Parts: sequence; structure tokens; C-alpha cells
Amino acid sequence: MRVEVINLDKHFKKVHAVDSLGFTIEPGRVTGFLGPNGSGKSTTMRLMLGLDSGSGTTLFDGKPLRDHDSVTRVVGAHLDAKFFHPKRTAYSHLRMLGAEAGVSKERVYEVLELVGLDSVAKKRPGGFSLGMGQRLGLAGAMLADPQVLMLDEPANGLDPQSIQWMRDFLKHYASLGRSVLVSSHLLSEMQLLADDLVVIAKGKLIAAEPMNEFLARATGGAVRVRTTDARKLAEALQAQGLTLVATGEDEMRVPNVTTDRVGHIAFASGVPILELSSETASLESVFLQLTEGQEQYKIGGAE
Amino acid sequence: MISALTYEWRRLWSVRSTWVVSGLYLLITGLLGALPIYLVGENFKQSWNGLYSTNANFLCLVMLGIVASQSWGHEYRYGMIRITFSEFPAREKVVVAKTLVLFVYVTLMVVLAWSLLGLIGATAPAGRISKANPGMSLATGSDHVPDLWKVFVFSLAYALFSSSLVMIARNLALGIVLPLLLATTIESLIILLANLAKGRMDWFAHSLPFTNGQAWLAGTSDLRQPGLVFAAWVVGLFLLANIRIAKSDA
Repeated sequence: MRVEVINLDKHFKKVHAVDSLGFTIEPGRVTGFLGPNGSGKSTTMRLMLGLDSGSGTTLFDGKPLRDHDSVTRVVGAHLDAKFFHPKRTAYSHLRMLGAEAGVSKERVYEVLELVGLDSVAKKRPGGFSLGMGQRLGLAGAMLADPQVLMLDEPANGLDPQSIQWMRDFLKHYASLGRSVLVSSHLLSEMQLLADDLVVIAKGKLIAAEPMNEFLARATGGAVRVRTTDARKLAEALQAQGLTLVATGEDEMRVPNVTTDRVGHIAFASGVPILELSSETASLESVFLQLTEGQEQYKIGGAE
Repeated sequence: MISALTYEWRRLWSVRSTWVVSGLYLLITGLLGALPIYLVGENFKQSWNGLYSTNANFLCLVMLGIVASQSWGHEYRYGMIRITFSEFPAREKVVVAKTLVLFVYVTLMVVLAWSLLGLIGATAPAGRISKANPGMSLATGSDHVPDLWKVFVFSLAYALFSSSLVMIARNLALGIVLPLLLATTIESLIILLANLAKGRMDWFAHSLPFTNGQAWLAGTSDLRQPGLVFAAWVVGLFLLANIRIAKSDA
């Protein structure tokens, strides 16, 4: 199911929390939702679900959420790991959530088993760890097998095995043609998980594009090269109109070029190459570069 | 609408506190009904209506107020309101479902309380509970015994008053404490002040919710239209609460 976010806008007194935000979540893909703290990610998700008042619309398959017959079959949302009554058992919590779509008891147990909480189904979640709370929230979101999953920081508090499980699960879920929107601060995790990215800062859209295009913004096709004769290679590259930055005694970085071209130039000038690689930017580096100075709450610099 | 009702019904009965407080409501009702019969002894004479109005006493009503407050209070306290409203984006559905379930709950509890009081009356020593007796009511604290339909309506109104306060203030404790304090302390103090003010505050004292509510319940008062004033408070508060729910962020 395609989700279109159109011109969402929200003020909190003097703070423009979400500023004319628009993007699309495509079916069959995991969309990562990134932004610095206080950038408006959670507010945007709440606006999309109609929980907060603001302007703009979100269309799920061309219709506002409230116009669908069964909302939980359209979208399953997990917004916080602590959104449950601490004395209501995990099973009862999910039975209650399943009422909207008429979910059966069997499905409740199935989902509890899927998230690994079947052994604590009749336990009260007040004593659950943060990770277990996340699993319960995820179970609630996927209970009615929705077409769209919206998860706000679902990996917080999860151990590495659980994070890997969640990544595999969400990728599989999307592969069934469903849409998945995940916000997270774990950028390395997001790089492994997301197909598309929506990046916001101070409530404004910074980028909304496929992951590979987003990463290409920073790399610009840069190449790292190590040689036995850095000086000679530098002269040869500069003679071809390329700029370069020395990154070590025998090492340099050449932006806006491919490994093929550097290899050919080195071969033609007779310079031995010890190492030649295209530089892959991390999501973190591009994210930090794009959102520099856009933090709502800046951390003080070290003296 | 059925799904919202099912959701609310499951929410209500899936926490232990509902069972505990409901049990306390029946226990207090039973004790208040039975103790005078057995403690006062042969001199105690009670009418059936007097016995059946026991559960309109504020000690019993506050138990209904707790469950009523929890219907919205638990949702706000534990963040569940965001899940509830994301499942039911048409918030009026949630309000209707919660109000209907609350009414069903109060009806159920009042019927259970009356059954219990009926049992207590039936097993009381001969002559102590009788139609012929001049009754007294723990609900009014006097020999003005309310009609039973008024006991039922007053119980519903009290529960709605409590839940409306929570809807407005998003504070569970307020819905439990404020109606009780208003009914038992604050309004009495205001009336005392009004008396001291030599008539200048009378209009205010005559507009208090539970002073009017109790006057309506007892059926004897020099207040004008106490039933209407009480109803205006309950309905007005409920309408305000609805506006708050519809307009505010979850």
C-alpha cells in the first residue's frame, strides 16, 4: 500500500515542529526515517496517524486513515515501548488491541510466538525489559497483519540478536508488498535495513530518496589509492585534470572519479598500485554532513 | 462501533483493579446495608426503599468513580491513548464506546448491589425491613428516601462526572478525588461561606453540583430545579470533555 504524506505542518507554540512535510512511502520497500533529536520524526508519525492536530493529510492507498473500514488492517503502529498497562497481561493487551480487526485468539498466540514472548504471554508487562516492551509493541502493530507498518525507534533496547531478527523480519514483511516506515537513531543498522530514506531536520525535509542515491551524495565517486610512488601518480592524475587529497605518505583520495580511470592512468604512467578502492560513504557520515547545524538540541563542545 | 465496544469491554475487565474495586463496591454496599440491621438491634426499622438506596452513599459511589476515572485515566497514564486513537481515528467512536460501556458497567453494579441488598433484607430478622417502616437513607443521611430510579440515575451521573473530569484534566486521581471532595467537603465549606456572606454568594451556593444532586435525590429541597442544575453540571462537563478529546493532541 502506498502512503502519501502531503504538506504536514504542526506548531508547538513558537516551535515549528513539522514544516510543510511531504514524502511517499512505497509498497515493497523499507523506508528509514531519520533526523536529529527533536527534528519532528515522532510528531510526523503522530500526525500521519491523526493523533496530533495539525494541517496536511496522509493518504493510505489514496484515502485518509479514518475512511478505511478496518484501520488496523491498513496500518500497524508501534510508537513507544512502554505504551501498555503494566498490570494487563501481554495476552490480554493484544486481545484488546485485536478487537478492532476481530483478531482471533490463535493469531494473538501466533504473534506472541513470532516475537518470542509466548513464554510470558500471561505475565504482566510491568516487569518487562525495554527490549521485551519493544517486542510487545511490535506484536501489537503486526497483530492484524497490516499493509503498512510504522515503527518509531523499534530497535531501542534490543540485543544484537533481536536487532538482526527485526531487520530480517521487516525486510521479509516488505518483500510481501507491504510498506514499512522505521525511524531509528542506529544509523549503521538503518544502512543495512532501509531501501529508501526520508531525512528531516527542524521539521523540514532534507532528503527523500533511495538509500544508494542518498549515499552517492557524499561520495561523488571518490577513489582511494595506495602506491609505491605517490608523487609520480599525483602528477599523472593532475595532468588528467583530476584533483586529489593526500591522506598518507603513499596514499591519496581522488574525488569524482572511478577506479577504472585511476587504474588506467596509473598503468599508463607505469606506477605500481598497491591498493585501489572506491570509497563507500557510511550513512552516518552523509547524515551528519547533511544535518550539520540543524540539530534542535545541540550538544556543547569539549573545551 | 461493535469493535470499539469490544475493545473497551476488554480494556475494562482485563485489569485486576476493575475486579478489586467492583468487589469493594459490593462489599461496602453490603456492609452499609447489613451493619445497622445487626448492630442497632431490635430498634432498627428500615424500609425496603431505604435499604435499596444504600448504594447511593458516597462511600459506594466513589468506587464507581474509580472505575469511571480509569476508563480514560489508565489510557493517559500509560500512553495507551495513542494506541487507542491510532486504532480508532474517529475519536467520537471511542467516546461513545467508553460512555456506553461505563453505563453498562454501572447498571450491572447497581443491579448486583440491589440483589445483594435484597438478600440482606430477606435474611434480616423479622420486622426490621418492611414496607411499613419509616425508612431512612444512607444516601441522603435523612429519612428522605430516594426513589430507586433516582439512585440508579445518580450513580450513572456520578460516574460520568468522574470520567469527564479525567477526560478534561487527563489526570486519573482528579476524577476520583474531586467529586468526593466536592460532595463531602468543598461544597459544605462554600455554603458556610455563603451563609457568612449574608446572601451575596447565594447564587453560587445554589449552583453547586452535588448540593443540587443530593437535593434532587432526596426529593425535598428549597433549591429551585435541583435536578436540572445537577444535570446541567454533568452534561456540561461531559460536553467540555468531548471538545477536549476531539481537539487536543492524543
